[in-house]
Amino acid sequence: MNNENKSGLMRVMRREVLRMLSQPVYIFCMVVAPLIGYIFFTTLMGQGLPADIPVGVVDEDNTAVTRQVLRNLDAFQQSEIVEQYASFGEAREAMQQGKIYAFYYIPKGTTEQALSSKQPKVSFYTNPSYLVAASLEYRDMKMMAELASGAIARETLYAEGYTDEQVMGILQPIKMEMHAIGNPGLNYSIYLSNILLPAMLMLLIFQVTIYSILSEVKEGVSKHWMELVDGNIYKALAGKLLPQLAVWMVMGAVYLVILYAYWDFPLKSGIWPMALAALLLILVSQAFGVFLCELLPSLRWALSIATLWGVLSFPISGFSFPQIAFPAPLRALSYLYPLRYYYLTYVDQALNGLPLCYSWANFAALLAFLALPMLLPNRLKKCLLEYQYTR
Amino acid sequence: MKWLHNILEVFREELHNSIFDEGVVVFFFIVPLLYPLLYAYLYSNETVREVATVAVDNANSATSREFLRKVDATADVNIIGHCADMQEAVDLIHKHKAYCLIYIPAEFDYALMDGKQAVVELYSDMGSLLYYKALLSSCTEVSLAMNKDIKTQRLVGATDKQASTFNHPIEYEYVPMFNTQSGFATFLIPAVLVLLIQQTMVLGVGMMAGEEREKKRRGILEPHVLGKKPWEMLMGKGAAYLAIYLVVAAYVFCVVPRLFHLIQIGQWQDMVAFLFPYLLACIFFSLTLSGIAHNREVFIIMFVFVSVPLLFISGISWPSCSIPHFWKVVSWLFPSTFGINGFVKINNTGALLRDVRPELIGLWIQTAFYAFTAWLVYYRSYGKHLKDSIEVAEVKLQARWAEYL
Repeated sequence: MNNENKSGLMRVMRREVLRMLSQPVYIFCMVVAPLIGYIFFTTLMGQGLPADIPVGVVDEDNTAVTRQVLRNLDAFQQSEIVEQYASFGEAREAMQQGKIYAFYYIPKGTTEQALSSKQPKVSFYTNPSYLVAASLEYRDMKMMAELASGAIARETLYAEGYTDEQVMGILQPIKMEMHAIGNPGLNYSIYLSNILLPAMLMLLIFQVTIYSILSEVKEGVSKHWMELVDGNIYKALAGKLLPQLAVWMVMGAVYLVILYAYWDFPLKSGIWPMALAALLLILVSQAFGVFLCELLPSLRWALSIATLWGVLSFPISGFSFPQIAFPAPLRALSYLYPLRYYYLTYVDQALNGLPLCYSWANFAALLAFLALPMLLPNRLKKCLLEYQYTR
Repeated sequence: MKWLHNILEVFREELHNSIFDEGVVVFFFIVPLLYPLLYAYLYSNETVREVATVAVDNANSATSREFLRKVDATADVNIIGHCADMQEAVDLIHKHKAYCLIYIPAEFDYALMDGKQAVVELYSDMGSLLYYKALLSSCTEVSLAMNKDIKTQRLVGATDKQASTFNHPIEYEYVPMFNTQSGFATFLIPAVLVLLIQQTMVLGVGMMAGEEREKKRRGILEPHVLGKKPWEMLMGKGAAYLAIYLVVAAYVFCVVPRLFHLIQIGQWQDMVAFLFPYLLACIFFSLTLSGIAHNREVFIIMFVFVSVPLLFISGISWPSCSIPHFWKVVSWLFPSTFGINGFVKINNTGALLRDVRPELIGLWIQTAFYAFTAWLVYYRSYGKHLKDSIEVAEVKLQARWAEYL
């Protein structure tokens, strides 16, 4: 008996490998699609920070002083002055057309007011409809303001014999020194790719798991599958999902290599905690797919729900817009998403390099998701054995 | 007017299929109804406020306390506690009790008294860039105000000329336009809405085409496809999707922004004139892609995963000036790229139709191109049967099915 069951498991696995090889959808969704996603995100944001964002200028004053200020501006990394506009209106139009992301406005009389100590104002207009570009422009402008606005005073003070240290003390008595823990360069790819890559893989695992189980019903071969293991649903699922797991583990390893070896993203914890988190995320995604099959044993419904649920994982895990800023009901809902725990683990481990004990709760939560398929196995079993696909 | 009759027949049949197929209803109606509400609600706070922050004040002087008090009073930062040393503070961050840390070294006051620069160190957890932004902008704001006071105090006794040089440099002012509080919802939701139209349409249309092919393989041919020319089928189906999506678009682009008080400053005429070709481009794009839908479900799995990349490739988040050339060319294949950019410009910044001419031209080119490719798809898959009478076609198909079995 025991021996026979064992070979039953092997036969299901063999059958599954053949199925995977015979239908192009498996190769596409398990290998090609993840690779496209990996390459897309990491090459899209390859430099980590956008360089030379186009910026405009309206210089109504047009004096030697304002021209000097503008020359300084061009030296900043993130912005590049591409065009001078004659009026505020023209610059605004260029911004509406998306030709520039920001512009400086130097009103008439700026130099004169500066010389007569009337504290003129130079304005910097950005368009945060493009939030990333606008935020970076804001940083450049702040730096510029710090350097340029004190330029005249600095020259005077040097001439009077003050030292560097004293000059800075006079011009800017309190200074901020910002430290971004773990990602000092504010690299956007580190910020986003670390979660986007596993999230895409997760979404594909949901769908492939569901498709591979319930398409058996649709094709009318699920009985054959169950017969191989004498109707043991756990063996049937194990035989089906283990060969897939092998492929997913390879794809998981590929993204770890891309992130932490090829792009050399921060990995303070060493690779093992992240490898463990990746493995758990893969297993949880499979388990979640099985659970949905049990809950809704209909291919189209299970797939639709998996899609909707899976896509929502991206925002609700809180890796871009932080979870603490969600409305309370959605903050609560976010705990039902495995990706949330993966993200928290990543922050603790790869980014901050904390001891594993800080992440135990997240690992435990991921492990708890693994129990999901145990909830309703008989529902799925019944469907696999009895259901006749119509339409 | 045989052709008009044919088109209307296909139109009626397709409308019926869309409304009575639960799977299609999910993508055509339920998702466009619920997703925008969910997303807009998720981001309804626009930005993160009162970020939990801990302070380590080793100077513990009147000035350092004033600084912390003022930072605490800003909208974005909330100082939840003072720690005796860095160890304790860092531990609070590690336990996610706090996300930012302000460290004022013991030398802070000596430096101020000596007329040197006093440094305040800020640390931010990089789990989200918004923590960083909140901390930096709040502290900078406070330090600028305090610097002004300190400078005034120091200049007691200085000559008028000195005082004026220090106190009246050029002031710089930062003005966010169109999205005045640099909010997340205002930035992301319009793009999500536009993308949603394309994605749900592609999925719904693909499901229906997959179903049709499945039936065809089993020898069942919908009677309404017989005796029709490929272009008549395209027009009929396209008109059905257009009718549905005019309703969907009205809800998504008029009702949702109002419900959540999102920015909407475009002229409605411009909006309509822009979204109409977007819908057309999406329709023919969907019909073209449905050519690879050999069955209902495979198509879903193959297309859903591109949703998030499409949002990024549009240039709404990662600026398009920094998108590598290769990906930019790829992005032109998708109506969503032009749709998102044009719509955001009209809707968020009040651009006029002439301001979005490149996007508008792009959409019309896509409409023409995908209409042609969709015709090819229909010509290839139905051309053979469409000329036959219903009996002949069914006999042929059933013969093929028997062979297949």
